[in-house]
Amino acid sequence: MKIIVNLDVMMARRKISAGTLAEKIGITPANLSVLKTGKAKAIRFSTLMALCHELGCQPGDLLEFSEDEEEAKQQ
Amino acid sequence: MDWNNDKSVRLTAVFTVLFALILLSADILGFIWMPWYVSVSAIEEKHLSFLALTIYSASIFAWICLYAMFRLLREIGAGQVFTERNTLMLRIISWCCAGACLVFLASVLYYPPFMIIAAAAAFMMLIVRVVKNIIQQAIDMKAELDLTV
Repeated sequence: MKIIVNLDVMMARRKISAGTLAEKIGITPANLSVLKTGKAKAIRFSTLMALCHELGCQPGDLLEFSEDEEEAKQQ
Repeated sequence: MDWNNDKSVRLTAVFTVLFALILLSADILGFIWMPWYVSVSAIEEKHLSFLALTIYSASIFAWICLYAMFRLLREIGAGQVFTERNTLMLRIISWCCAGACLVFLASVLYYPPFMIIAAAAAFMMLIVRVVKNIIQQAIDMKAELDLTV
């Protein structure tokens, strides 16, 4: 079981760079990279809110729940 | 530079050095104080070599323990408190306490009062293990906090 962060997909759709987004939502590029690469263990509501606001999307567009089996199939 | 952090670590380092010096002199001057101790305690003369064996084998654990403590203090002094290396040092210290406990437990065969030292060493091992578990838990919590965006 895993939560997949689809931030990179949404960023590509909105054509926004990591540096610009990090600056707009007020987190460091390093932290944004942690989130993008799926290394993050948790996300604050404030960060999620800022991301949704900047990218004009819903939390569900950024986060996705996945069972291990499905993940294995995808890989 | 407040008392709780920097100076306290330095004070502990001073005490550790002091203990190391006492241990070193006890090791070097063993040939003087051990016969004296045998003469004033209930240990029989023929067991002097056993006493030396007990003291020197326990002092090996004490030296390993002191080395681990020095490393630990250096890390803490540098602000690296919740690290895997520190838990390793605490684990080493706890195993040294266990080793010393076994040495003194074996020594009970020729001098029963050593049982008290064995019990103290076992108790110390438990305390260090609890502290190690706390540090381990703190490391996990810190990792989680560091990876919260």
